[in-house]
Amino acid sequence: MSAVIKNPGKFQMSSSITLVTGLMAVVGLGAFLVQLSTDPHRAWSSFVLNHFYFLTLGLGGIVFAAIQWLTNAMWSAPIRRILEAFSGYLPFVVLTMLVLFYGLHHVYTWTDVAMVSKDPILSGKSGYLSPGFFLARNLGAILIWIYFARKMIGNSVAQDANGDFQYTERNRFLSPIFIIVFALTFTMASFDQMMSLDPYWFSTIFGIYMFAGMLYSTLAALCLGTLYLKGKGYLDGLVNDNHIHDIGKFMFAFTVFWAYIAFSQFMLIWYANLPEETGYYLRRFNSGWLGLSIFLLVGKFLVPFVFLLPRGAKRSEARLKKVAIFMLIAQWIDVLWIVQPEFFQEGPRVGIFEILIAMGFLGVFIFLTLKFLSKHNVVAIGDPRLEEAVSHHHQ
Amino acid sequence: MATEARNLSGVVGFFSGPGAILKAMEKVKATGFEKFDAFTPFPVHGMDDAMGIKRSVLPYITLVGAITGLTIGFSLEYWTSAVDWPLNVGGKPFNSWPAFVPVMFELTILLAGLSTVFGMFALNRLPNLKDAAFDPGITRDRFAIWIGVPCDLQQAESLLNSLGATDVRKVYQEGWF
Repeated sequence: MSAVIKNPGKFQMSSSITLVTGLMAVVGLGAFLVQLSTDPHRAWSSFVLNHFYFLTLGLGGIVFAAIQWLTNAMWSAPIRRILEAFSGYLPFVVLTMLVLFYGLHHVYTWTDVAMVSKDPILSGKSGYLSPGFFLARNLGAILIWIYFARKMIGNSVAQDANGDFQYTERNRFLSPIFIIVFALTFTMASFDQMMSLDPYWFSTIFGIYMFAGMLYSTLAALCLGTLYLKGKGYLDGLVNDNHIHDIGKFMFAFTVFWAYIAFSQFMLIWYANLPEETGYYLRRFNSGWLGLSIFLLVGKFLVPFVFLLPRGAKRSEARLKKVAIFMLIAQWIDVLWIVQPEFFQEGPRVGIFEILIAMGFLGVFIFLTLKFLSKHNVVAIGDPRLEEAVSHHHQ
Repeated sequence: MATEARNLSGVVGFFSGPGAILKAMEKVKATGFEKFDAFTPFPVHGMDDAMGIKRSVLPYITLVGAITGLTIGFSLEYWTSAVDWPLNVGGKPFNSWPAFVPVMFELTILLAGLSTVFGMFALNRLPNLKDAAFDPGITRDRFAIWIGVPCDLQQAESLLNSLGATDVRKVYQEGWF
């Protein structure tokens, strides 16, 4: 096998990164506060959109890392720490969840007690859709995710010191438990935070829809993170074209998976044509939202599908980078397409404030991810599979 | 030995394992023989590069199969439900593409899969009932390099010997059994 693997060490956080991401966060917060006083309805729609979008990025990292332990994966050993780093954002989700709770009555119509009491359907749901229970279960879910992330990443980081295989065994025990707990809690979080924006509408596949979008964007972020660190020289001799190729294949796979799930949700509702269910799609087709609905089919599915189909594209860093950025934006537009029609039925509202608030969240996300990497080794250097993984290649 | 000239297929040499055969194959390729091949009991990673094998055209056969399946799927459904025998189903348009998608998807997968399998057979010139295995060990635990005629037999034999091959010998085409 290969020679001695050189530990690239920790990420050197430059002061310019801190400055830029800090500035993004401050400007984002400022934009949110300004819009809160001028147009609170629109400010809260932006907030819930970005709260959930970045929640899925932070959570997606530990979910995909757990899948690597669960499946005993070899190929991902040199890049797994980047996935673990995304969970550095999760504690911030506790904060955004509390802020969301503060603005709950701006976001969710089911908080309007007078309206609910007159409506037999919403009265029937009021036991579940009540502010206290909403906060308790969603905050509880986030704390459970943080607990598992801490446990599993703690093992992974501890392994850096001595390469003890026991840590891998512990994560192989924890990861299936986490995946099951995640499946249930994330379905609940999607139903509560996204689906209940229209408290009348329901779709049992909605949790999987959000999960598909979560891995769609997480893999794109993993791709960008890997290419960034590779460009900085941290992954020399650790990550080769075949690892990049594998990330590209996963991006392609989850592009198809998202389209499969999105179409499954749409087709059943379209076919059955029941008035309780069709409102969601009618709002998004018969209005200024039609353009974005078509974008989801063409832009979110067909564009990455066609671009990622040739083998050469998945092995070209330059092309993969472009597709990854596009996919991250497409997933943001998807969440926008879920959130905003419940606020603005006429059509999308994307202006300078929407972009600045999203940039604010992005700044926090990048800062916390890189902060994690500056505290721990960039590569899980003690992973017993690392030596096999660095010489990984396809036939 | 009377049939040597007619049936001679080439020279084989056996190697101890995947690492040894990879190194030897690079030398054999560099020497510039016209015909050569490797026989291993399992896929040896890196062999394609060592032999200088270019990428297969198989993915393009798959793509053509997939596009054909997609087109056939849509045409079949459009023709049956909108042209040949229009039926009003739940007041939906005759040409209801969302209802067609599952069949289009399945036919895409089916024809892509079948064209991959049969394309692979054709590219590998299978089934081949003519050539018999020259040594049963190559499907079990032996790693062999074969250098085919026309070639300088002396040179081929001495090269294989110098690369550390054991049991270097001529092989003859025997036909089926």
